[in-house]
Amino acid sequence: MKKVELAGLEKTVFYEKLENGLDIYMIPYDDKKNYYISYATRFGSITTEFTPEGKKRQIKVPNGVAHFLEHKMFENENRESPFVFGSKYGTGYNAMTSFDSTQYICYGTKYFLENLEFLLSFVNEPYFTDENVEKEKGIIAEELKMHEDIAETVLEDKLREITYKNHPRRIDIGGSVEDIQKITKEDLYNCYNTFYKPNNMFLLIVGSFNKNEALKTIKDTLNNYENHKSGTIIQKKYKEPDSVFKKEETITKNIQIPKVGVALKINKDKLKFKDDFKLDLYLQMLLSTMFGISSDFRETLREEKLFNSFYTSMESADNFRVLQFVSETNEPDKFINYLKKSIKEIEVKEEDLNRIKKVWIANEVKMIDIIDNTVYNQYDDILKYGNVIPDKIDIIRSLNKKEIDKIIKNINLNNIAVVKMLPNK
Amino acid sequence: MKYKSIDMGSYNLHLIKTKKFKTITVKINFRNKIHKEDITVRNLLTDLLTHSTKNYKTKKELVIKTQDLYAINLTAGNTRLGDHINTEFTLSCLNDKYTEKDNFSNSLEFFSEVIFNPNVENKEFNHEVFDLIYDNAKTSLTGIKENSSYYSLIRCLENMDPTSPMSYRMVGYLSDLESTTPKSIYEYYENMIKKDRVDISVIGDFNTKEMEQSIKKYFKFNTYKKKVKIKTLKSDKKIIRKKIIKEQENNKQSKLAIGCRIQPLKPFERNYTLTLYSLILGGFADSKLFNEVREKSSLVYYINSIPNKLDNTLLIRAGISKENFDKAIKLIEKQLTLMKKGDFTEEDITKAVQIYKNSLEEIEENPSYLMEAYYLMDLIGIDDLDTRRIKINEVTKDDIIKVAKKIKIDTIYLLEGDES
Repeated sequence: MKKVELAGLEKTVFYEKLENGLDIYMIPYDDKKNYYISYATRFGSITTEFTPEGKKRQIKVPNGVAHFLEHKMFENENRESPFVFGSKYGTGYNAMTSFDSTQYICYGTKYFLENLEFLLSFVNEPYFTDENVEKEKGIIAEELKMHEDIAETVLEDKLREITYKNHPRRIDIGGSVEDIQKITKEDLYNCYNTFYKPNNMFLLIVGSFNKNEALKTIKDTLNNYENHKSGTIIQKKYKEPDSVFKKEETITKNIQIPKVGVALKINKDKLKFKDDFKLDLYLQMLLSTMFGISSDFRETLREEKLFNSFYTSMESADNFRVLQFVSETNEPDKFINYLKKSIKEIEVKEEDLNRIKKVWIANEVKMIDIIDNTVYNQYDDILKYGNVIPDKIDIIRSLNKKEIDKIIKNINLNNIAVVKMLPNK
Repeated sequence: MKYKSIDMGSYNLHLIKTKKFKTITVKINFRNKIHKEDITVRNLLTDLLTHSTKNYKTKKELVIKTQDLYAINLTAGNTRLGDHINTEFTLSCLNDKYTEKDNFSNSLEFFSEVIFNPNVENKEFNHEVFDLIYDNAKTSLTGIKENSSYYSLIRCLENMDPTSPMSYRMVGYLSDLESTTPKSIYEYYENMIKKDRVDISVIGDFNTKEMEQSIKKYFKFNTYKKKVKIKTLKSDKKIIRKKIIKEQENNKQSKLAIGCRIQPLKPFERNYTLTLYSLILGGFADSKLFNEVREKSSLVYYINSIPNKLDNTLLIRAGISKENFDKAIKLIEKQLTLMKKGDFTEEDITKAVQIYKNSLEEIEENPSYLMEAYYLMDLIGIDDLDTRRIKINEVTKDDIIKVAKKIKIDTIYLLEGDES
């Protein structure tokens, strides 16, 4: 096992790569009672065109298949479902599908090894039948309808749809109710056999457990799955233009307060900045200093009564970074104009930069204190950057005005997509 | 972990000393009898107090101050506990070990500024700030139907009993908002500081004596307050016929909310048996409702039951397609009947006990949960965590059947969408 110290956080990551290619990250705590395990594959909703394991031709599976597959992993032929098993031990089981990954999680306070073994086992035992696939469609349709009633979700989906021209990020993670009707057990097996391979997966364990016992259980359990060997993954590459697909679109919905979504699309290769992790920090720094809760931008919005709620986020899609701004406002047009103007005039002040750095470092310390937060934080880094970032705090400290100014200079600040959502009556 | 409760005369101080966390969290609770018209005012008030103060005149200035104190978190909110309204201010701050000397003390001073030194001139809240907070509240209240899940819940409760506190909308009411002024809300604020029952809790790694001194220094309440016990809401109302109410909204999914009344329970039933009953019925992913309505019938994505022991109610909620309404109701009612008939196993009880015990341990890993647990122990007389761990084992199958027989559906509410 390789030891990696998380500098400034008094925690150690124990890393091991198994012969079959699986990456294992373990962060033991000696002062907590609970644990949290995440078993993940780098397969999410954006992968629908690929060459299945053992076949020669590329296929297209229906949208929403990764999420559907996640649901069906909870069905087993020879063992009880995770819900039943978890209830017996008082542990919780769940799973989440995102654009670029699917994770299966287990959290609890007791019977760690039993649950670790169970989690690894059920994710390695697919059992899809025509009947159980059919049965799931009603459940997932209700899940999708639930999301369609949440205005912000619909707005963000629409915003991605007009930001990207070809990249599958423009399609909702779960697909549509019509998409999922087409899904068959063959689709699920094609995806499973291709992407649920150890070299495409990782395991993250945080909390109260013994690392040596854990490693032994992992090896013993995975030994039962002889076919569980690494494969080669060939999937479709998408050519995405630099500019946003559409500049503006207006939609209506059963809402009372208008909502606005704005996206700034950036081709990161044009920024000429080599370090991806640091570049992402700078782009987030730009959001925090210019549009965060202590920014002049927000203060003006408050004074002018231009918003009710407002949040920003950044997403990555291959070589693209997209900064998103979502707001609820009674004055959508005024708001959009002001936001566009502010984006064009972006200039980060040194004192703001230094203050936000202090906030980020404090937040890293706070996050390591709660096990769930440590999992979320490390999971993101492993998924995005292929590893944990041991010197994160030092990197945050090293952020400076000179570098961020250079990055901003290279961003095309006019490359903006806007979605307006208005009440439909 | 060491717990100490100190009577400070005008308030109770609860100190929970533990090395578990890198943060120190301080909570101040104000509590009084709930009146429907006060809810909106209290919401405005917590928004005003956390927006700006006399020395930090704008939200921006206030936020910058919190960031300079190594990103302290400052939050406030209102909840209802039985017949009381509870206003809670929370400060969460990194221990000085991870920041610098006196950072906690400075944070506490700032916290006291937020509560005792509001942005007020001539006994009125600053008009510009008031306007802004008022406008935001108005927008939120206008958009209440956008959260269809919450909206269906409050409509269900309002149909159960529009006069009981259980149906009060904790987001507030537009009509009450309109009658609030910068002056009236300041008067309300003064009253709250003077007359509410106050509790202060602190959790983290600190020196108990020093902490007591610091709290005494920064939080001075002058009046002596009599202890008021929180009462559970009356549950003797007879259900003559269960009500079925459907209202339409232009949504994709229909939201189902079923309100049940619970006949009077003994303390043990309230704190233990009811919890296990609800877990078995619809409290976890291997519950009767989850298995029957979701896994076997594919009618829902989510379905659950949640008891409110202070209100003597049990709520069952699910998202369904409108054409499945009858099917879903039939299945749910069947599960309630089966619980009464004792159609559940000892294994079901063991599972529910495990889930319960696990949740107790999760409480111990989270400063906020822990503080709440101690606060409620004092307030509504529930047992401490260790006692709970033991007593939960004493619940028998017969106990659960007895409680099951005291639970009856009062109102079935459907916020009907327009898609099938």
